[in-house]
Amino acid sequence: MKTKAIVLGILAALCIAAPFLLTGFWVRLITFTFMFAVLASALNIIAGFTGYAAFGNMIFFGLGAYTTAVLMTRLGFSFPPALACSAAVAVAVAIVLGMLLLRLKGHYFALGTLGAAEAMKYIVENMTKITGGGQGITVPSLRGNPAVINTFFYFMMFGLLIIILVVVWRLSKNRLGYAFKAIRANEEAAGVMGIDTTRYKVTAWALSALFTGLTGSVYAFWFTYIDAPTVFDVMWVVKMFVILLIGGAGTVFGPVIGAFILETISELVWSRFINLHLGILGLIIILVVLFMPRGIISLVSQGKGIKDLIPVRRQAKGADR
Amino acid sequence: MNGVILSGRQVTKTFGALKAVWNVDFEVKKGEILGIIGPNGAGKTTLLSMINGTLSLTRGTITFKDQVISGLKPFRIAEQGISRTFQVVKPFPGMTLLENVSLGALFGKDKIRDAREAREKTRAILSTVNLSGQENVAVENLNISERKRLELARALAMGPELLLLDEVMAGLNTGEINWIMGLIRRLNEKEGRTILVIEHVMKAIMGISHRIMVLHHGEKIAEGPPERISNDEKVISAYLGERYAKRRGDNA
Amino acid sequence: MLLQAVINGLLFGAVYATIGIGFSLVWGVMNIINIAHGSFIMVGAYLSYTLYAVAGIDPFLSIPLVMAALFVIAYVIQKFSLNRVVRGSVFITLTFTFGLQILIANVCLLIWSADYRSVKLPYSSAGFQIGEVVIPLVRLGIFAVALILTGLFYLFMRRTKTGIAINATALNFEGAKTVGIDVYNIYAITFGVSAALAGAAGCLISPIMSVNPFVGGPLVAKAFVIAILGGLGSTIGALVGGMVLGLVETVGTVFIPSSYQELLGFSVLVLVLVFRPQGLLGKRFY
Repeated sequence: MKTKAIVLGILAALCIAAPFLLTGFWVRLITFTFMFAVLASALNIIAGFTGYAAFGNMIFFGLGAYTTAVLMTRLGFSFPPALACSAAVAVAVAIVLGMLLLRLKGHYFALGTLGAAEAMKYIVENMTKITGGGQGITVPSLRGNPAVINTFFYFMMFGLLIIILVVVWRLSKNRLGYAFKAIRANEEAAGVMGIDTTRYKVTAWALSALFTGLTGSVYAFWFTYIDAPTVFDVMWVVKMFVILLIGGAGTVFGPVIGAFILETISELVWSRFINLHLGILGLIIILVVLFMPRGIISLVSQGKGIKDLIPVRRQAKGADR
Repeated sequence: MNGVILSGRQVTKTFGALKAVWNVDFEVKKGEILGIIGPNGAGKTTLLSMINGTLSLTRGTITFKDQVISGLKPFRIAEQGISRTFQVVKPFPGMTLLENVSLGALFGKDKIRDAREAREKTRAILSTVNLSGQENVAVENLNISERKRLELARALAMGPELLLLDEVMAGLNTGEINWIMGLIRRLNEKEGRTILVIEHVMKAIMGISHRIMVLHHGEKIAEGPPERISNDEKVISAYLGERYAKRRGDNA
Repeated sequence: MLLQAVINGLLFGAVYATIGIGFSLVWGVMNIINIAHGSFIMVGAYLSYTLYAVAGIDPFLSIPLVMAALFVIAYVIQKFSLNRVVRGSVFITLTFTFGLQILIANVCLLIWSADYRSVKLPYSSAGFQIGEVVIPLVRLGIFAVALILTGLFYLFMRRTKTGIAINATALNFEGAKTVGIDVYNIYAITFGVSAALAGAAGCLISPIMSVNPFVGGPLVAKAFVIAILGGLGSTIGALVGGMVLGLVETVGTVFIPSSYQELLGFSVLVLVLVFRPQGLLGKRFY
């Protein structure tokens, strides 16, 4: 335990020092990675811990981004209250949608959320008066030294990451987290043990939505231009799932590790082979699913080696003989 | 109705044309052990599932401590103080023994908020069922006797006033059966819990129950103290066939 | 105007049925929602285009070739990779097929570039007229072939040994193993059949729709809607689902501005999922 704390402390110190030592390019890159880590951690709460694969989770990202953008441009809000409103909107939608959709299981839930997200994309796009429709919204940007602005957003995302990591870490040990895990393990039996599954599922999704919405809000303020196809794009969630796969769903640090690995690969590979970037992502997805569906963390914590990367089916085959 | 903690009126469950449980009235007094017996398919587990909310009633009502519980969701019924074991034990995968059982302490009747407190209470229960040494074992690795005790521990951790036991002794050897009989007696006499037991191990259930209820083809065919039941002609006929009952009657 | 829309909807509905059947076959048998199904259709369309552009083979005639090609490709994919995770969770299988979809899209992008491709048939304007309704020959042909394929599929599932084995595997995996069915091979065949149907659908749409590497997504969304509407496990259901979708789309354009159409589609989808997830005609199996 102590070594873990020391390592984390060192990493945290490095993260805090980084923006003052690196160039703008790197600072922005790491900020982006933090953002992915937060989004993946948020997804982890509903998908990894509770077992509900919300393929439409970007609905909250988009709602968060648009709420902030609309409030700041149309109603002259400053960022902090806009941020708070984004969070509120995301949570409210999660509760309403959750009551409706969380009764679905497995694929039905996954695709129901996807349908809801796509529907929301169209709704937002068509509220042209408020949202600017296909033109998107340009949010007033911060004035000042670009380096300072970069650093500001770096620390915003870093802050969000720290907060969500603490939340998830608590979840891995407390009563709420136990309820989530029980629901994932066997929802019917969880009910028999006294767990109000509907209430806890909605809570999980609301928590996930909260952080996803907050991130969307910061994203809008950071990138200053948003449009519906971008912020409601399903590729965000796909990347989140890949990150969870790489790092390990249901773990605390899996999303962070996964985010860093994915972003590293992206930077190394994709910028050189733009034509191939989709294909390579697809290949990565396939390989990760085939060979390490539990993620890196499970490999490390269970002391497994390369040979243990052989996936499930082998064992079944052996049993047949 | 002094001392009656659970009652059912005209409890019926049908699955299409199949009458799983038909028009059963019953009462369970606080602090007693009621045994439920009957041939396979008699509706015993169905009845239990209706009491704890896993199955809905087609007709009739079930009342617990003067409150109608039929129609409530299982978790609400658990909160009232009823818990049960399942015939086929399916522990929560991916969690240790301790975590599995502490779910009961966290979400059962007492709803302990603090995870650490729940774990302590769980440890106490684990020692009651002799599983103390294995709290960190992954549940997939337990043997049948350990699984049965895990199931019992989970139900106990919920702090129930009424405990429903569904064939907890199936698959155990004589020594283990005797041990569980003793445990059930202790739970009842020392801790005052009311217990409904379904069992096929005749000597066990006859030995610990205060009263026995017999189901056959979904209907209650007999009820009373164990000695009277074991001589009841309808019961013998249900288990062993009419000819045997008649022969016994002729010889008596 | 309305009548024309209805006829158009019904004619195209048959193709939708073909798409829906393949998609719900994989879903019903292996519990996999194959996001790559749309890209199989796309590949079929591209192959049809290439065969026409290079060798002058009419899309209707290239159907058997394309079906065979897609069967082989899909069979191999299932046998050597998807089979490993087929019994896994939604998380895993959905992500896998998504990865497959974007991989295929990229491959198509490299081979055929991002330009829109379609097959310009010499007889595309031929047709006949009944009263006010115009029925192009091509569309009629598409309708007929799609119906034939659906019928063949129905017979395949009911009358052939393989079809029955597929049914058995879907209904009871362990049981099927016990009676000697090579279940993983059956899975591969199932995936192959599904892709073959998708490929055929691709051929059928190539004369009337232009294709680019990114049509996979919208196509599989349609497949999903058809499967949900018609219910899994029912060939007739998929036919009905396909017709309904076809009708809703064509008749919908008459009454609803196009920007709201997609919204309508998704809303209907979510509503059906919540209130009647077994679809209009869903039942246990084929």
